Amino acid sequence: MVNFELNGAHVSFEAPATMTLLDMLRVELGVTSVKKGCEQGECGACTVLIDGYPMTSCIILAPQVEGRHVCTIDGLAENPLMKELREAFMENGAVQCGFCTPGILLSAYALLRDNKRPSEEEVKTAIEGNICRCTGYVAIIESILDAAERIAPD
Amino acid sequence: MKPLTGFSLLRPPTLVGALEMMSTLEHAQPIVGGTDIIPTFKDLGSKPVHLIDLGLIEELNGIMEEDGKILIGPTTTHTQILTSKVIEKTAPALHDAARWIGSVQIRNRGTIGGNLCNASPAADSAPPLLVHGAEAHICSLEEGHWIPLLELFKGPKMTVLKPNEILIGLRFPTIAGASSSFQRIGRRKGFTLSVVNAAVYVERKDDALKEARIALGSVAPTPIRAPVVEDKIRGKKMSEELIDEAAEACVEVAKPIDDVRGTAEYRKDMTAVLVKRALREAWRRTGGEL
Ligand SMILES: Cc1cc2nc3c(=O)[nH]c(=O)nc-3n(C[C@H](O)[C@H](O)[C@H](O)COP(=O)(O)OP(=O)(O)OC[C@H]3O[C@@H](n4cnc5c(N)ncnc54)[C@H](O)[C@@H]3O)c2cc1C
Ligand code: FES
Ligand code: FES
Repeated sequence: MVNFELNGAHVSFEAPATMTLLDMLRVELGVTSVKKGCEQGECGACTVLIDGYPMTSCIILAPQVEGRHVCTIDGLAENPLMKELREAFMENGAVQCGFCTPGILLSAYALLRDNKRPSEEEVKTAIEGNICRCTGYVAIIESILDAAERIAPD
Repeated sequence: MKPLTGFSLLRPPTLVGALEMMSTLEHAQPIVGGTDIIPTFKDLGSKPVHLIDLGLIEELNGIMEEDGKILIGPTTTHTQILTSKVIEKTAPALHDAARWIGSVQIRNRGTIGGNLCNASPAADSAPPLLVHGAEAHICSLEEGHWIPLLELFKGPKMTVLKPNEILIGLRFPTIAGASSSFQRIGRRKGFTLSVVNAAVYVERKDDALKEARIALGSVAPTPIRAPVVEDKIRGKKMSEELIDEAAEACVEVAKPIDDVRGTAEYRKDMTAVLVKRALREAWRRTGGEL
């Protein structure tokens, strides 16, 4: 039995050792904002925050989150920083098919939480592990910089 | 993607517990971040092993400075290395390398011990640690011993670790007046395995190289040192000519192969480029001029 916190709620789930965190969240617990892409740690679509750090859930075994805090975008629905990010993404057209969006929002959230006014270079580094096959990244990077400015104006 | 099958996961809270499992269970293999091991399991479909998760063992994690030595636990993540002021100051090459490993997600998860024990010739932590004269602490239930890190690597994906042994620590000395640099070339700037990588360590005495060490990755079955080149430049007055000479000599040491990431010829050319960059940067970091 794996016991962990998912978006602030306690969860106990009978997960075999061979189940990935991605499958436990998405297939078993129905958290479909966590996307299944490459399953190799390359694309970032399955990104979640574990104790606040972005990690790719496809290469983590479900029992490895025992006692940890797992957070998906669902857990940040009411979070002020996440709200700014979402709005900036919508206004700048940073979402096309949306497959990469939950993962990128989580990477961006972790960046702005720890670094209120990142440089463009720092934004690029933060989302290096999130592949977007639609937008070409420009609108995404601008959105993250916009959100930073709204949260912490000069 | 085929589902994973055929392994169990054990999560011992203590080192002794882990070592007991390693010596009593057949086909036991450590796992920490899983960033190397899980993707290979997916490719293979199944593998009948007991995975021993070292991630809960507190004494295996962290960075410490003690008696003129830096000690690094094997489960220390690349993010911990990257954000450590001690590492940035005492082993800049290792700090540089951590910056280029994977992505934020991979650096948050992947560990320095996993990077070394996975024994990829392209492992980015290896050249910096090699030039800093790192040693590896190998331990079984019966005994522990330190070996030069270079001796850990036996071949591509092969280490000297016996089935009951794990890596429990790394250490290297801190030397005043020393600095280092790491350089790499990948298919793109970030988030990709190195096509070639190189680290250089120097100690400066006025305008001369009191000590010089060079390590190269992805140009041989394992990460290597270039002692022939080091002997050539040690004690010499630093100059652009000396840098060129070292870079040329490193090309002779490099014995790369063609593979999907690059040709042998390209790797040899890039070896020279990277060694030059690393020598210049390490030298400047000691306050030396060119
Ligand atoms: C998308 C992606 C990008 C990557 N980019 C890079 C990169 O740019 N540069 C780079 O060098 N690597 C890269 N890697 C490889 C990998 O992330 C690193 O090698 C990482 O440091 C491995 O650490 P881990 O804890 O995840 O290892 P694991 O996968 O848990 O283990 C790796 C191997 O080491 C063994 N092992 C682990 N710890 C010990 C120990 N203490 N004692 C004995 N054996 C042990 C395991 O049994 C296994 O064989 C990348 C991986 C991915 C998925
Ligand atoms: S699905 Fe996990 S990184 Fe692509
Ligand atoms: S919007 Fe389609 S992958 Fe990014």
